[in-house]
Amino acid sequence: MKSKRKWLFRALTICLLLAIAGTMFIIGRGHTIYLDNKTIDYEGQTYEGPYQIVVYVDDEQVAKLNKRDRGMATCIGQGFNMVLEITQEKGGEAATMGVTMTLPYNMDGIIINLPALLAGLPQDAYLEQFVPAVPDVPEDEEIVTDELEMLEAVPEV
Amino acid sequence: MNETGLDTNKTLKERMAEVVDSFGLPRLIIAAFLLLLFIMAPIAGADFFTQLTNTINRFSWNAILVLAMIPMIHSGCGLNFGLPLGIISGLLGATLSIELGFTGRMSFVMAILIATPFALVLGSGYGWLLNKIKGGEMMIATYVGFSSVSFMCMMWLLLPYRSPTMVWGLAGKGLRTTISLEGYFDKALASLGQINIGTLSIPVGTIAFFALLAFAMWAFLHTKTGTAMTAVGSNPTFAKAAGVNVDKMRLLSVVMSTWLAAVGILVYEQGFGFVQLYMAPFYMALPAVSAILIGGASVNKASITNVIIGTFLFQGIVTMTPTVMNSLIHMDMSEVIRIIVSNGMILYALTRKTERSK
Amino acid sequence: MSEMKNNNTLENDFGSKFGAFFRNNSVPIMFVIICAVCIPISGFSPSYLLNEIMTRMGRNTFLILCLLIPIMAGMGLNFGMTLGAMAGQIGLIFVADWQIWGIPGVVLAMIISIPISVLLGLLCGKILNMAKGREMVTSYIISYFINGIYQLIVLYMMGPIIPIQHSAIKLPRGYGIRNTVSLLNMRQCLDNLIAVNIKGVKIPVLTFIIIGLLCLFIIWFRKTKLGQDMRAVGQDMQVARDAGINVERTRIISIVMSTVLAGFGMIIYLQNMGNLSTYSSHSQIGMFCIAALLVGGASVDRASIGNVFLGVTLFHLMFIVAPAAGAKITGDSMIGEYFRVFVSYGVITVALTMYEAKKRKIKSLMGRQLKLDQKEEAK
Repeated sequence: MKSKRKWLFRALTICLLLAIAGTMFIIGRGHTIYLDNKTIDYEGQTYEGPYQIVVYVDDEQVAKLNKRDRGMATCIGQGFNMVLEITQEKGGEAATMGVTMTLPYNMDGIIINLPALLAGLPQDAYLEQFVPAVPDVPEDEEIVTDELEMLEAVPEV
Repeated sequence: MNETGLDTNKTLKERMAEVVDSFGLPRLIIAAFLLLLFIMAPIAGADFFTQLTNTINRFSWNAILVLAMIPMIHSGCGLNFGLPLGIISGLLGATLSIELGFTGRMSFVMAILIATPFALVLGSGYGWLLNKIKGGEMMIATYVGFSSVSFMCMMWLLLPYRSPTMVWGLAGKGLRTTISLEGYFDKALASLGQINIGTLSIPVGTIAFFALLAFAMWAFLHTKTGTAMTAVGSNPTFAKAAGVNVDKMRLLSVVMSTWLAAVGILVYEQGFGFVQLYMAPFYMALPAVSAILIGGASVNKASITNVIIGTFLFQGIVTMTPTVMNSLIHMDMSEVIRIIVSNGMILYALTRKTERSK
Repeated sequence: MSEMKNNNTLENDFGSKFGAFFRNNSVPIMFVIICAVCIPISGFSPSYLLNEIMTRMGRNTFLILCLLIPIMAGMGLNFGMTLGAMAGQIGLIFVADWQIWGIPGVVLAMIISIPISVLLGLLCGKILNMAKGREMVTSYIISYFINGIYQLIVLYMMGPIIPIQHSAIKLPRGYGIRNTVSLLNMRQCLDNLIAVNIKGVKIPVLTFIIIGLLCLFIIWFRKTKLGQDMRAVGQDMQVARDAGINVERTRIISIVMSTVLAGFGMIIYLQNMGNLSTYSSHSQIGMFCIAALLVGGASVDRASIGNVFLGVTLFHLMFIVAPAAGAKITGDSMIGEYFRVFVSYGVITVALTMYEAKKRKIKSLMGRQLKLDQKEEAK
């Protein structure tokens, strides 16, 4: 009886840990978001970017984008909220709008084209995966496994 | 013995098990592994005799460092993890000999002579310490080695060495991390009577020097003092009852071990061609310890044969694995294999039940 | 050292008490003196020092606390805590590859490290049970041995056998992990969550809360049945066995607990550092943690939470000021670096020696007592 309860308890603990791990998997997935204020062509139509967009994430200004600029923000989880302060013409009034979107789980880096987003185009028009440039010359890295090597430069603890 | 014919099958099995047990399973695996390497070497495109030459060379450099393990194991002080202390004496001898302007083979002789008093003094201090802490030798030996190496790191920088071949060129003081021995005692022993047959070459001088020391050690162990030392190791209470001064024997063994380590590092350096300072002696105890254990020694029993077999097996694996592995699977896993094999061997020896433990 | 001897000869009560105090606390006192000499020479401002101490306390305390449990079980200083550190690092490598950031990343890495730590802890405990009486040197060699296996896994198996996707952490040759794995996305995420800034001194409150919880756990654990068993085993294995305690099992549990906690500690440590040196972060951590604990006045068979905090403060104070002081005195920056390494090793040597010498003294005293008793009986 006692050992049965012990096993049940253990199984529950493992399940709980697995559940936490699964949750962390979903809520902890980090994304790097690249925000473009660039003119875009979609289905034969051209969408011009505004004069300036200031992007706020969590009340913090992350980018001030003039035309053809790219900004960067990070996001943990798939729900991405930002506030855009859009100035259409130089010296014009700024309009503020909040944007909420769901990010695809499997992309590390995501490019979002703001003009396309503002024009209300479908997701495949404004969202694109960011692929980091692969260096032409394959770099080589010397592996330092020797403990001595490391002791020469005394580690910071 | 009387059961012969009763159950031959079982006795054969038992006999096999006995052989395995007496030789030790890990040792068997390592020997088989080395054999496999030697067989694979030609397939991998490496010349057999070049490989053998390398192995013999490395054997000749390292054998004395492994021999240094013997006295302390005999007197019951366990594996000498404090080998770096002796190595430091040797390094002091080497650097001072160069500093004092000796060159060629003379510098080697002088290095040994200068290293000797350091080894005696440091060894006595170390032995005195180990006598205070009987039973906990190995852990403290390790840390004595580590502390002395890190202490000497400061000293190499601070001591007033001036020889331009040894100090940093810009600052004009502080010894370099590696000092070339060219013009000093590079190959001082190895070039003595070297035999070359095709691609095979044997450094007779170095091996003869090792043989000399090994013979001296063997002879010593058969003297009255030597047997007393062994008695102290195998049964201290009995030795004490027989009127042997236990502490003195242990002290002597530690001093001998330290001096052999000092000579051993000098022989290593003459083969290698460089003096390595600072952190280099740090982990030098581990290969020597595992080599003697691979050779069949245990924490409290070791013989000259163990030293020879062990050094050959260990150095064989160290030299052969990179070449064979690289050409067969294009991965240089030799470093990892060395770490696992040598430390696995030490672990195996530490977990064996010894006669002294209750 | 000299005070010890002088006070030994004093016969009066105050003197002997004073002497006993010095004898029992010689290592911390030595460190207070070193720090007192070095701080003015180094020329660091108090607020800088305080800030550094706070950071390092948050970074290291958890790791050092994991050493307490094996000491309780009489297994000495657990040099095998490195095993837990390796498990933690494997967890972090996975999390970095899966791009789980921030606190969820830390939590996930901890969960991944648990099964690895348990496995390694079981192995370590089993081996240590075969080497009773020389646990420390054995656990020390185990850490090297497992380091070989760790390298085998991380350097050769990660990539072809264990999937690793991102080229930022994988070596260009297609297998193995790079020398450094960036943990920028979880850097100081625990420390910064509830950080309080008092006059330029940043206090990582959440990290301290976690450390506090671990302290409470250890205090509570000492009072449980298992904790009592452990202490009994630590006192005398034979007596504990006669009392019906499963000695082997208790010892294994203590090592497993220590390993798991070391894994967590390593993750906390590395999230503060912000990057992981794949092949070297773990190798020295055991040594520094043990040195810090000993500096706090702990010995091989007795250590308290107080020792941990005192040790962390003193040891790291020395670690910060020694290089600067060394550079000022000798004009060579490396001297101070080597000095602090020397002191770390020296402290462990001295502490181990004092412990073993004391153990022998007690043993011989007991032997003499036994002889006297026998003589009495013979009369």
